[in-house]
Amino acid sequence: MSDATAHATPTPKRSLYTEDERTRRRNKAETRFRAYGIAAVSVGLLALVMLLISILGNGLSSFRQTYVTFPVTLAAERLDPAGNRDPAEMARVTTFGYLPILAQSYIDHVENLGIDHDIGPRDMAAMLSEEAPAQLRSMVLANPDLVGQTLTMEMLVGGRIDGFFKGRVTMESAALDRNVSPEQLLLAQALVDQGAMETRFNWSFITSPDASDQRPEAAGLGIAIIGSFYMMLVVLALALPIGVAASIYLEEFAPKNRLTDLIEVNISNLAAVPSIVFGILGLAIFINFAGLPQSAPIVGGLVLTLMTLPTIIIATRASLRAVPPSIREAALGVGASKMQSVFHHVLPLAAPGILTGTIIGLAQALGETAPLLLIGMVAFVREFPAAPPEGFFDPASALPVQVYNWTQRSDPAFVERASGAIIVLLVFLIFMNAVAVLLRRRFERRW
Amino acid sequence: MEDGNVNDMRLTERDVDTRNFKMQARDVDVYYGTNHAIKSVNVDILDKTVTAFIGPSGCGKSTFLRCLNRMNDTIDIARIEGEITLDGEDIYDAKVDPVQLRAKVGMVFQKPNPFPKSIYDNVAYGPRIHGLSTSKAELDEIVEKSLRRAAIWDEVKDRLDAAGTGLSGGQQQRLCIARAVATNPEVLLMDEPCSALDPIATAQVEELIDELRTRFSVVIVTHSMQQAARVSQKTAFFHLGELVEYDETSKIFTNPEDPRTESYITGRIG
Repeated sequence: MSDATAHATPTPKRSLYTEDERTRRRNKAETRFRAYGIAAVSVGLLALVMLLISILGNGLSSFRQTYVTFPVTLAAERLDPAGNRDPAEMARVTTFGYLPILAQSYIDHVENLGIDHDIGPRDMAAMLSEEAPAQLRSMVLANPDLVGQTLTMEMLVGGRIDGFFKGRVTMESAALDRNVSPEQLLLAQALVDQGAMETRFNWSFITSPDASDQRPEAAGLGIAIIGSFYMMLVVLALALPIGVAASIYLEEFAPKNRLTDLIEVNISNLAAVPSIVFGILGLAIFINFAGLPQSAPIVGGLVLTLMTLPTIIIATRASLRAVPPSIREAALGVGASKMQSVFHHVLPLAAPGILTGTIIGLAQALGETAPLLLIGMVAFVREFPAAPPEGFFDPASALPVQVYNWTQRSDPAFVERASGAIIVLLVFLIFMNAVAVLLRRRFERRW
Repeated sequence: MEDGNVNDMRLTERDVDTRNFKMQARDVDVYYGTNHAIKSVNVDILDKTVTAFIGPSGCGKSTFLRCLNRMNDTIDIARIEGEITLDGEDIYDAKVDPVQLRAKVGMVFQKPNPFPKSIYDNVAYGPRIHGLSTSKAELDEIVEKSLRRAAIWDEVKDRLDAAGTGLSGGQQQRLCIARAVATNPEVLLMDEPCSALDPIATAQVEELIDELRTRFSVVIVTHSMQQAARVSQKTAFFHLGELVEYDETSKIFTNPEDPRTESYITGRIG
C-alpha cells in the first residue's frame, strides 16, 4: 500500500487531450508495424495475382481446340484389301495408309466448298493433325463395318493452324515458319467463314492420353489424371491409418523415454527431407529390391506415402495434444480404459485437425514431381492403366510430371498445354482444400 | 473469534453413523520426480460418510485424493509408496486393473468437464462401457435415476439430446456428478467440485453431497472451510504434504488438537 505513494517527485499533471512523447512513439511504432503488415500481404497477393494471370492467360486456351469437319469416304480397296472385314487383317494397313484417304477427302471438300487456293496436296494434308489418321484408323478397326461408307468426320487440325485461332501464330510469324504458310492460314480462315472449321471446348484435353512431340494438339491429361488419382488412393489408404495409428501410440500410449524422443526428432526431420531423396529410396527399395514395376502408380503411391507420413503424424499429434486433458480425465474418471478414452472421446475431438493435416499432406503429394521422376513415372505412356487393383501396377503418368514433361518439349503449342495442366492441377488442389474445409466444418458443428 | 465462525457452521447436525472403514491409507508417500508431495499419510475413510480434505493450496490434498482411484497413474513422474485399501484389498496391487477400480471409485473434477456429447450420452457413457444395462429401457432408467440423484433431472429432462457443454457451469457440474453416480460407485471423490460455481449452484451441489452420503462414501477436497463444515462428518487437515489432523468435523472446527490446524481454520496460515 505504501508503494503507490512512494514516488519521490510527483509527475506533473497532463491533459488527456495532448499525446505525451512515450505515447506518440508507441503509436508511431504501431502504425509502422501495420504498414509493414499491409505491405507484406500486398506482396503476397500481387504474386498470387500475377501467377494466376500468367497461368490462366497461357493455359485457358488449351481447353479449346480447332476441328475441321468434312465427309470422309472410307475406300474399301485401300483399307480392307482382303475384303473380309477381319480386324486382324485390316490392322496391317498402318496409319500412313489412312493419311491419303483423309487428305483426299479434305482436298475434295475444300474444292466442293468453292474456296480458291494454290496449296499443294502435301501442304493441304499437313493442315490436318498427324493424330487425325491415327484416330480414323482406331475408329475403323473398332468397327470394320464402317469401311465403304462415307462419314462426316470431325478431325483435329495441326497445332500451328490451331495456334492461329488462339493468337499464337500470326501471318508474319507464319511467313518465317517452315511448318506453316500464310496461304494455309488464309484457307483455314476461309473454312471457318464457311462453317467447316471451328474452335470449340476440348474434352479430349482432359480425357485423352499424352501425344508425341509433333502432335501437341492431341496431347491430353487422361493418363496423368488417372495416375495421380491412383497414387492418391494408395497414399490415402496407407498414410492415413499408419500415420494416425503412429500418432495415437506416440502421443497417448508410448512411455516418455529416450527412444520415443529419438523417434520424435526423426519424424520431424523426415518432414524436412528433400522429396527427391524419397525418390531414390523408392527406386532402391520398391523397384530394385522389392521388384515392383517401374512407372507404376503403386510405387509412386508408396513413395508419396513415405513423404506424406511425417506431415500427417505431426498434424495428428498436434491436434491430439490440443484436446483438453480434462476430457481424458473425465473418461478415465468414469472407468473408461485408456483406449476407450482415446477412441471414444479424444479422437473424435481431434478428427477435424487430423483431417486437415491429411488433406494438406495429400495436396502436397499430389503436386510432388521430383520423386516420381526417379521411379520412372516420367515415361511416355499412351495406354490407359486398367481399373484398380491391377491398374496400380500398370504404367501411368502423374499431373505434375506431365507439366514437367510438356515444358521440356520444343513445340510452342506445348506451352499452353503445360499451363492448362497446371490449371487442372490447381483445380484439384482447390477441390481438395474445399473438401477439407467442408469436412472440418461438418465435424466441428456437432457441438 | 472461533465461536463466531462456528455458529454458522451448523455443527450439531454432523454425526457419523457408521464405523465401517471403506478405504484405508497406510504410510502413503507420493513423489513427483524428486518432489516429495505426500509424506507418510494415514487416513481411514468411513463408509456412508462425507470426508473433507482441507488445507492451503499445494498441500497435497488433491494429490492424495487422486491416489485413491489411481488417477495419478496417468502422470509419468508420479511415484506412490505405501498401501491404500478398498474394502481390505490393496488398490495398488499388481493384479488390480485401474479401470475396474475407477468403476468403484468415481470422481468429480474441479472444473466441470462434460463430454462434448449429448446430456443423455454423458450419463449413459459409464453404464455403457461397464455393461450395466441390457436394454435401452434399462439405460434410460439409469440415466433418469442418475440425473434425478444429481438434482438436475427437472432442468434437462426435455432436452436430453442437447449438448452437455451447452449447460451453465452449475448444471454442467451436476451433470458430471450424475455421470459419476451412474456407474454406481462405492466411493465418490470430489476435487473442489464447487470452486467454479456461484453460491446458488454451490448450495445445490452441497445438498446433493449430503444426499449422496446415504449410498456412497464421499471424499471431498475443498478450499472453503465453511463448505467442509457444512457437508462433512470427518475432516482431514493437510499441510505441506503431511496429514496434520484427522478427526470428527465438529472436533476439528471447535477444538483442534494441533496448533497448525487452529491457525488455518482461523485464517492465520494458508
